[in-house]
Amino acid sequence: MKKMLLTLAAAVMTLTACGGNNANEQNAANNAGNTGNAAAATKDVTVWAWDPNFNIAAMKLAQESYKAINPDVNVNIVEYAQADIIQKLNTGLNSGTTSGLPNVVLIEDYRAQSFLKAYPDAFYKMDDLIKSSDFADYKIASTSLDGVQYGVPFDSGVTGLYVRTDYLQEAGYSVADITNVDWDKFIEIGKAVKAKTGKYMLTQDPNDLGLIRMMIQSAGAWYLKADGTTPDLKDNAALKDAFATYKTLMESDTVKITADWSQFLAAFNSGDVATVPTGNWITPSVKAEASQSGKWAVVPMPKLKNTASSVNASNLGGSSWYVLNVDGKETAAEFLAKTLGSDVELYQKLVTDIGVIGTLKAAATGEAYNATDEFFGGQKTVSDFAAWTQQIPQVNYGMHTYAIEDILVAEMQNYMGGTDLNKVLENAQAQAESQLQ
Amino acid sequence: MKKLWDKLTPLSLFEKIFIVMVISVISVAGMTSWITVQVSQQLFLNTFSLTNSKIVQQIKRNFETFNYSVVTVSNEVMQSASIRNFLSQTGSSSVTNATAFYKMTEQMRRILSGLDVNEVGTIVLGRDERNYFSERGYWLSSVDKLKDHNITALTLNEPSSLNYHFLEDEVGTNGEPLIVASRALMNRSTKEIYGSLFMMIRERDFKQFYSNFTSTGNDVLIMDRSGLIVSSNREEKIGQYSNELLSQAQEIQDKRLKYSTIQNESENVIIVSDYLPTYDFYIVNMVDKKLVDNMLPVTRIILVATAIISAALLILFLITRRLTRSLRMLVRQMSSVTKRNLHNYIEINGSYETRQLGTAFNYMLDELNSYIRQLVDTQREQRNAELAALQRQINPHFLYNTLASVNFLVQRKDNQKATETIHALISLLQNSISNVEETLTVEQEVVNLKHYVFINQVRYGPGITVDYFISPDCLDAKVPKLILQPFMENAFFHGFKGRNNGYIYVMISREVDTLRCEIVDNGVGMDLNTERDALPDSTSNSHLFTGIGIRNVHARILLIYGKDYGVSIQSRPGEGTKIMIRLPFQADET
Repeated sequence: MKKMLLTLAAAVMTLTACGGNNANEQNAANNAGNTGNAAAATKDVTVWAWDPNFNIAAMKLAQESYKAINPDVNVNIVEYAQADIIQKLNTGLNSGTTSGLPNVVLIEDYRAQSFLKAYPDAFYKMDDLIKSSDFADYKIASTSLDGVQYGVPFDSGVTGLYVRTDYLQEAGYSVADITNVDWDKFIEIGKAVKAKTGKYMLTQDPNDLGLIRMMIQSAGAWYLKADGTTPDLKDNAALKDAFATYKTLMESDTVKITADWSQFLAAFNSGDVATVPTGNWITPSVKAEASQSGKWAVVPMPKLKNTASSVNASNLGGSSWYVLNVDGKETAAEFLAKTLGSDVELYQKLVTDIGVIGTLKAAATGEAYNATDEFFGGQKTVSDFAAWTQQIPQVNYGMHTYAIEDILVAEMQNYMGGTDLNKVLENAQAQAESQLQ
Repeated sequence: MKKLWDKLTPLSLFEKIFIVMVISVISVAGMTSWITVQVSQQLFLNTFSLTNSKIVQQIKRNFETFNYSVVTVSNEVMQSASIRNFLSQTGSSSVTNATAFYKMTEQMRRILSGLDVNEVGTIVLGRDERNYFSERGYWLSSVDKLKDHNITALTLNEPSSLNYHFLEDEVGTNGEPLIVASRALMNRSTKEIYGSLFMMIRERDFKQFYSNFTSTGNDVLIMDRSGLIVSSNREEKIGQYSNELLSQAQEIQDKRLKYSTIQNESENVIIVSDYLPTYDFYIVNMVDKKLVDNMLPVTRIILVATAIISAALLILFLITRRLTRSLRMLVRQMSSVTKRNLHNYIEINGSYETRQLGTAFNYMLDELNSYIRQLVDTQREQRNAELAALQRQINPHFLYNTLASVNFLVQRKDNQKATETIHALISLLQNSISNVEETLTVEQEVVNLKHYVFINQVRYGPGITVDYFISPDCLDAKVPKLILQPFMENAFFHGFKGRNNGYIYVMISREVDTLRCEIVDNGVGMDLNTERDALPDSTSNSHLFTGIGIRNVHARILLIYGKDYGVSIQSRPGEGTKIMIRLPFQADET
């Protein structure tokens, strides 16, 4: 009897020892980070944007000013790279679930139409809250669809020609000589500058046709027809003129070639180039090199000589705010409308604190817009930009801006290699038609 | 041992069994637990080294896949003429430059699209100002700083191979650690170095190759040949040197060990390692031994073992006590048997052995009792035989004297008294000769006694008077034959030595269940203290009627009726003698 007991006890112990590990459960709590506001109260507004020195900073000012209007709303600003925002938006909107999406998102004007068309119900209509006519006309085409206003137009991409007055002087020209000129005159001056100072006139990245875009928009033309979908390359007179001008510019041997943004910035900061034809948002970067203070001026963009419609004003870049059709959309729309949609005071702050030139027409009357800038020799740059903004021809960027540009970059190389211009554009048209739709 | 056993010996059976059992149970449980823990630990270590070796193999494969795509990219970059042209040519026209830049960019995009890891920043440095950055986020400082960096010098020193470096720079990488694959770009035919290629991956992206396999206490480190930890899921270790780990990793590599261990104040870890020849890095997988110990429920094993031991001991205690209790009872009962009498039979219960033992003991008692009864019977018969023999020895002197007295009476012509005397003698003889075992009524015994007294008075004269006080309710009581006669005889011949007159009283009465017979004389008495025996031995006396003496009477009563009955004497010199005979009162049932 006793022996049996012992054996039993030993057996029980062995069993227990072997079975002990089963209890060690690994409790893998997998809490996916949910940046959305599904669980939060509708008083939370989540905003996605890129560029902490520009867009994020502007949104923070809006957040601050809204605290005085409605302190209950908690604005939560999240920074992502632009590519990430595009990817997350596409993923989220395609999946049909709105969880994880923000209330407010910043979208580049060139891409806005593709989102508005692809996801017709995903964006909240802002017609009742803002008036389209309050904003620069050229912004409306990209931020609205079928006559309905979706976006709150934000920064102006109005372009200007930043010039080094000292280099011009050395080459025998005054600022007035390059003001409101056409590109041929620009090239002529460039040659003189190169000859007299050894400096390049401007930089170009062969992979970025921003210059072409500025040229054609100054003539009220675009890569696409007014419907926003049909490629308009082959018989686009403005585009032809722009290509020809571009080639002439390159062949003038006054262009410093750069491969990326960093080299672009380095070129003018180091004094390698005499002009920078680009959007007004480059102002902070130009002013970053304090030693060049007083040596710069901003003049209107040159226009196309052979295109009658071309004016001395254009646009490059720029983006707008959109409200997504998710929980809390009313709060978010209210927030946008009361701040960036109408607040003139806020726009004064945006100019002085960050250097953002908005597209709200009323803002141009404010004090900050009329300030002078010693870096640019006492020029009222903001006021000038605001004035030029009103002159920008309105075009519908439509969809596919960047897809077509990829085609054109390659064709431009062919063109410069000696291929006939009509042939080049025909090829581009054919490629665009086959690739898109 | 002997001493210990001696110490144990005085303990009871129960205590001995219990102590031995307690020691056995505890040692068996302890040994089993210990062996279980040891075996499980060994098993875990074996399983661990097996699975973690596989994990390390998997990590190694990930790294090799990455390396292969890096190698492919670097080969394509080296073979590309447009890249070589871009890096070599300087000072051409804008159009030529634009074409070169475009082709370079185009070429690099095409090549890099083959890279299946996105988070790689590629930098191609040419001589002079020509360079290409696929992404600016990796090297934040100027191009010249990178050219002057140690990493470029290392790359150019070994132009023929692809090397991996650890790069951490206050400005250049903003303090963030990078892993950099670098290669000098060399014209194969002219052996001229025309540039260098850097493929940078952030440590946190590099980590992706193995981070799936890590967990708390299960760490992976990537270490270069100098012991510098280039990547780890333990971020605080990145950029540190660990010679200890390096030597362990090298030992594992050289001796082809399955695993190794490091034990010091700060950590106690198991290490599995492998060498990445293409990187010249070591993959080191460390598992905290505490994790192993946590996975083994040592405390649980001990707790369960303790619980089982306690339960077993409790059960053991109860069962052992129950088993030994019947034995203890047996022992107690047996000892009481020896003290008292042989009729204490034992209660039969308990276990089989105890029951058998009890039965055997009771059987032995039975045997013993029957033997003793036989012995008593034999003795009684023997005594009876002796009595009968004594009874039949009628003293010839008595007969002679009596007959001489009768003769004398006849000669005196006192015929009536002679006849009476003869008659008394006849009656006496009749009683004596018949069976000694027979009982008589008190009445008959008293008649016999009177006959005896009559004869003696005839012989010695009527000086001694005998009076009888017989309680009427005692007349029918039974007494053994000739029970009173020896005392009467004693009174006649010893009570009145040298005197011719006196009194003898015979009193018979009933006291509940006892018959009291008293024979009292007022003779000379005797000193009981000086004599050896309480009862005088009268066998040798010539006056005796039969051979039965008073001592015999006492023995006979004890034999027949037990120790509660018998003869007692009270006497003092000069004050007479009082004899008391106590017998059970037995009336004639008929």
